[in-house]
Amino acid sequence: MQKILTTCIYCGCGCGLYLTEDKGIITGAYPSIKHPVSKGALCVKGWNSYEFVNSLDRLTHPLIKENGKFRKATWDEAIKLIAEKFKAFSAESGADSLAFLSSAKTTNEENYLMMKLARAVFKTNNVDHCARLCHASTVAGLAATFGSGAMTNSINEFQEADCYLITGSDTTSQHPLIGSRIINSVLNRGAKLIIVDPRKIELSKYAAVNLQQKNGTDVAWVNGMMHVIIKEGLQDEAYIQARTEGFAELKELVGEYTPEYVEKITTIPKEKLIEAARLYAVTKKAMIVYSMGITQHTTGVDNVKSLANLAMLTGHVGFPSTGVNPLRGQNNVQGACDLGALANVFSGYQKVTDAAAREKFEKAWGVSGLPANIGLTVTEIITAAGGGKVKGLYIMGENPMISDPDQNHVRKCLEKTEFLVVQDIFLTDTAQYADVILPGASYAEKDGTFTNTERRCERVRKAIEPLGEAKADWRILCDVAVACGYNGMNFSHPSEVMEEIRSVTPIYGGMRYDRLEPHGLQWPCPTLDHPGTPYLHKDKFSKGKGTFMPRPFIEPRENTDEEFNFILSTGRIYWHWHTRTLTGRTSTLEREAPVPYVEIHSEDAAEMGIKNKEKVRVTSRRGQIELQALITDRVVRKSCFIPFHYREAAANVLTINAIDPIAKIPEYKVCAVKVEKL
Amino acid sequence: MKNEYLPYKAIIKSIQKESFDTNTYKVVFSDEKIRNSFDYKQGQFAEVSILGIGEAPISITSSPTRKGYLEFTIRGAGCLTKKIHQLNVGDSLYVRGPYGNAFPYEEIKGKNIYFIAGGIGLPPLRSLINIIMDNREEFGNVKILYGAKTPDELCFKQELEMWKKIPNTEVWLTVDKSYGDWKHNVGVVTELWKKTDVCSKNAVAFVCGPPIMIKFVVMKLIESGFKNKDIIMTLERYMKCGIGKCGHCNVGEKFVCVDGPVFTYEEIGKIPAKERAI
Amino acid sequence: MRRKGRKIMTLKKISKADVLELLECCAKTWKTYVPLETEGKDILFSLLPTSGSELKEALGKVNLNDERVIISPKDIFFPQLDDMFYFDKDKIKENVEPPAKKLIFGVKPCDAKAINFVDEFFKRNFEDIYYLSRTKDRLIVVIGCITPPRPDACFCTSAKTGPFANDGYDLQLVDIGDEYLVEVGSSEGENFINSYSDFFKDAQEEKLVKAQVVKSQAAKNVKLKVDFQKALEIMKGNKDLEENYKRISERCIYCGGCVYVCPTCTCFNVFDEKKDGNGIRRKNWDACVFEGYTREASGHNPRDKKVQRTARRYEHKLKYDHSVTGSSGCTACGRCLTSCPVEIGMSKFIQEITEDKKGA
Repeated sequence: MQKILTTCIYCGCGCGLYLTEDKGIITGAYPSIKHPVSKGALCVKGWNSYEFVNSLDRLTHPLIKENGKFRKATWDEAIKLIAEKFKAFSAESGADSLAFLSSAKTTNEENYLMMKLARAVFKTNNVDHCARLCHASTVAGLAATFGSGAMTNSINEFQEADCYLITGSDTTSQHPLIGSRIINSVLNRGAKLIIVDPRKIELSKYAAVNLQQKNGTDVAWVNGMMHVIIKEGLQDEAYIQARTEGFAELKELVGEYTPEYVEKITTIPKEKLIEAARLYAVTKKAMIVYSMGITQHTTGVDNVKSLANLAMLTGHVGFPSTGVNPLRGQNNVQGACDLGALANVFSGYQKVTDAAAREKFEKAWGVSGLPANIGLTVTEIITAAGGGKVKGLYIMGENPMISDPDQNHVRKCLEKTEFLVVQDIFLTDTAQYADVILPGASYAEKDGTFTNTERRCERVRKAIEPLGEAKADWRILCDVAVACGYNGMNFSHPSEVMEEIRSVTPIYGGMRYDRLEPHGLQWPCPTLDHPGTPYLHKDKFSKGKGTFMPRPFIEPRENTDEEFNFILSTGRIYWHWHTRTLTGRTSTLEREAPVPYVEIHSEDAAEMGIKNKEKVRVTSRRGQIELQALITDRVVRKSCFIPFHYREAAANVLTINAIDPIAKIPEYKVCAVKVEKL
Repeated sequence: MKNEYLPYKAIIKSIQKESFDTNTYKVVFSDEKIRNSFDYKQGQFAEVSILGIGEAPISITSSPTRKGYLEFTIRGAGCLTKKIHQLNVGDSLYVRGPYGNAFPYEEIKGKNIYFIAGGIGLPPLRSLINIIMDNREEFGNVKILYGAKTPDELCFKQELEMWKKIPNTEVWLTVDKSYGDWKHNVGVVTELWKKTDVCSKNAVAFVCGPPIMIKFVVMKLIESGFKNKDIIMTLERYMKCGIGKCGHCNVGEKFVCVDGPVFTYEEIGKIPAKERAI
Repeated sequence: MRRKGRKIMTLKKISKADVLELLECCAKTWKTYVPLETEGKDILFSLLPTSGSELKEALGKVNLNDERVIISPKDIFFPQLDDMFYFDKDKIKENVEPPAKKLIFGVKPCDAKAINFVDEFFKRNFEDIYYLSRTKDRLIVVIGCITPPRPDACFCTSAKTGPFANDGYDLQLVDIGDEYLVEVGSSEGENFINSYSDFFKDAQEEKLVKAQVVKSQAAKNVKLKVDFQKALEIMKGNKDLEENYKRISERCIYCGGCVYVCPTCTCFNVFDEKKDGNGIRRKNWDACVFEGYTREASGHNPRDKKVQRTARRYEHKLKYDHSVTGSSGCTACGRCLTSCPVEIGMSKFIQEITEDKKGA
């Protein structure tokens, strides 16, 4: 019986936990006490993160589809087939006929290798991953305003803040170990909470000010708060002067966002808006905390920029416990972005459009002709695969059938995809459409690193051998590259990959494996003697001066009308993770939330004669699902909420594939539906 | 040390449809040794499973006086029981037990017996009813008061007819909603008090059914002069192990699986109110 | 075994410098579990390798200081996940761990108390073969706490479960400086000393006095005091604690951590897995704080409210366990508090109900 320290597979908190290994089986998971995030505690998902590893459903050998049926295949066969097909597509239809979806569930090293496979081996920038669906708006919005698209503070700094403006984050459900710090801070220290969310969340009961805005009106209320702050002279003039640019434009734009005007757009009572604005502005240690409720809009980037404006206006960036904190969803979504599994950047956010960056990577990888065009993003890749523009699609550890918007569209596209490779640990809904399935390894079966939401790059350690013939994902990617005749990916351990990452990625420059012991380092960490960076933008912004980027309010893409008279918002719940590939195979978690449901306001339910737990039909312009009604006052009237985890009633049958023009993030948080009693 | 968690294979010999969602399964252990050594008492339950699906506690509804087989009356309510409903004669179930305490038998000889049941509450009583019927002369009057939502949801229709014909035995039926050629009472089970005399003298009452029904029946029985110790019922709880280990059925300081499922109302009274759920 | 205050012929001691060597010897014949420092600087009970450089390396990580051990040794006998049996169409193959000599070395007194408590539980009514086959031939060596491992959470002096054990051990070591004075609690403990007599030297009577001084100082080092007896009395009585339970349940974020880390919690779930006709019946740790824990197949749930489940946990530990076994299910180890993300714990609850303090 051995206990191996590793990093939790679920959310971006990145808790340190121990996996118990007994006779080759993982038999338990315990929190680390000394780890700076877990500190002896875990959420329910972390405590139960051992079970799915041993599931008998695990994929244990490669599969090749023949005549519509999967058959067992050898690794040689499978890899050879992929290499042949991909090389042929590339030769016949050009490099951009290939596309690669990387994964925020896999390690940094694997994400780096995936983007290297796409770029160095196949010369395409068609590589992206699900960050596109969660925080692409953050990466774009904060990079433009601050110069760095990541959380500015550390998780432990949440214990010291005096005011939290939380918007679009159900923090206790999605980042429990951050949510708990906020609860403790409020109850023990009297810290103040401002919650701006269309739906009541667990934290709402602790809030000093609760604002329930109409879905999709975030730019308006943020501008409104700035209007109040400037009107009352609560802005930090010295800070604005010294550290920012573009204030005049901001002042002009927010001039028209009077509380009265904002109330009309958002339904937030003007007194409450004023109260919230004052509280945030005058508290010294104030942080903005946000998540998908802000980013998953067609105005996602505008929302993020507006929040950045608000923070700069009040001098609330660049200090401990004071900043703008986008909470990253997946365990390694920060890392997957950092390592360049995005259509527009190499690792360390070095732009593919920058000739010097391309030259640097060409030299490092021993190749020439790296493409300069920005590649296709997640939803564009799926559409292009359906339309035949992309012929070879390689998906590692993602399940777009459940996670992408407009499921019927995704299904059609995957059905039409000429050659689909899926690398995963379970036969997911997406894998059903694959031509080749490659069995990857779970987090318990490989070495590597994850980077959590506070930019902490920390170790993942192998506790057992991969099940059956499964292989570590980094190993599979290397094998594919070698089979394609590329000799720059002959790695024998992830630590060697990290050495290459360090050499080409300034923010990861000091992250040699031995330095990551025991609990990792926070980037930027440029050199081997650098201690890491707990909070960003100290003294000056990453880009020099912070830039105000005033944005006007724009309506969400789809509005309610007489037929589709409810606003639907989708999201996650505490017990489940994303497409339930893991939590659905964890008895305790699955038992807590076994069936899909739609939250409906009690008065709406009464009007329609719907009883609690009764089946209802929810229909949008794109499709319909049937599920249980959960009658509650968490949602406001004429709006409803559906967890997107369940394939049986997939919320993404309903959602709209309308995207933010810059970040290309879909608008999961607003679409129009109708609700009917069955 | 015996491994109490290991179940034994039992073959389904017959399936009797009781109502639209309830069947009675007659099963026989494959292993002769188990078949002969599986001694149970009226009111006990067994853990029944389909390997790969799961396990659930199910009352043994056959009478211990009738040897060689077991009967389970199962409503297709959860994941496992719905799967059991897909099985056919010749398929196997896995069974271990018997578990739990039993309904009193020797102690109630010579008494007048009332059985008051609702819906799927009759099956747990059936074992005791049949053992009494098999030794009818040792007991006083027997009255069975049985209610269900609809005529279709009444279990053991043939047996109810049969019991009725036994001397000094009455069967009173009621449904919430009648249809077809229903000749009996309509209304909740306590309405039957109007139809027949319920007298506490030298009597004991066995009550089984949904929590809400139990609540009203107990009130009515007390009104009729029954003492708490003469009202006997079973508690229903989610269970996993059946042997007092897994903890799910813990109420107060009792384990329903080993200290119950049979309790007198007097014993129930000692369980803190918030744990009782009836 | 494990009787209180056994008399032995001569007083024994073991030099601290010899302990690692003793463990090295034991590892050859015993499955030896000992607190080891991990790569993450945490302390966890781990199985020593039986020989070679692996054993040497592991011995270098042994930590018998008063450090916080994340999980009590309960998982050695009651693992978080346990395969009960395998099935292959019609055949069932049970998976009971064969009994083996186990030495659990460096157990804290509160945890030893808990182990005995859980032993009794798994023997009561029906015997649980999975647990009891693992506890057969087991030797427990307790090391008393000089300073409390969780200074803000340990309250063993209040519950009379530490910092030194009065019973429930085979051997107890008392840290008297460079050496441990050895107290023998059972004949198995005595046999152990005789088998490894090279390590256990005769001690002078004056060491006993020294041990007494150490013990009383250790008790003084436990600063957190609660009125445990009063709490038990209150729980036995009819005082309405709904408000307390409500406050706790509102703060709780339902991680289950307090149950998982509790050395006397034994609840488990049972579930099946199957693929192509083959499968496994497994059990794993469960927790009464979850809504699904008591939900019946019909959907009816006698404990569907958070506050009921919170009450259940405290009443089980402080009321029902006490009335069934005569001792409380709380051994005052403090883990529920230190593992709670929102700082709820047994000591706080006791303070609240006995001192009418507000706040969970």
